[in-house]
Amino acid sequence: MTQTVTGHRGATAAVLVVGGGGLAVATWIGGQHGLAVGLVAFYAVAAAVAYVWSGRDSDTGAILRAGGDERQRRLDQDATAFAGLAMGLAAIIGAIVSAARDGGNIGGYGVIAAVGGLAYTVSLVVLRRRH
Amino acid sequence: MKNRVRELRTAGGLSQADLGAALGVSRQTINSIETGRYLPSLPLAFAIARAFESAVEDIFSPDEEES
Repeated sequence: MTQTVTGHRGATAAVLVVGGGGLAVATWIGGQHGLAVGLVAFYAVAAAVAYVWSGRDSDTGAILRAGGDERQRRLDQDATAFAGLAMGLAAIIGAIVSAARDGGNIGGYGVIAAVGGLAYTVSLVVLRRRH
Repeated sequence: MKNRVRELRTAGGLSQADLGAALGVSRQTINSIETGRYLPSLPLAFAIARAFESAVEDIFSPDEEES
């Protein structure tokens, strides 16, 4: 119910290594070798910072470990919701701008906005049954 | 909500870290509860009450305008 020291210190670092590594590989395959090497360096530093920060006795450290107590998990949920709202807003604005520039084609922004809207609807249906 | 967590904790000679460890939460969360910035869940409120051998309503009470 309220346990505090949970999660793994390398949780966020692992996400950065895997995500950054995937992006770097894709960039390399795309022919941008210099940029790919730069991305590897950037995400390696970011992962190291995240690993060190995860060891701290702080709210952020607990959240970076993907653990923490009930208040810290609530902080993480609120921040995630706010980030989702910002991303959704950016996708909608991007789709509108894209449609105006490209003769009604909403492009990738529209796909992201649609996925966000669908995910919200499905989440609402599922979560409503759980709470 | 008002609460007497800080009063009871200091009376018992406990630090925020001590109480947090006993309850399984962080010292930051104890601080947030004491300052009224965070309302604990019912299970945590009962755990706090048990730690001080009191009833929940003896530790947490509504503000005047809430009651």
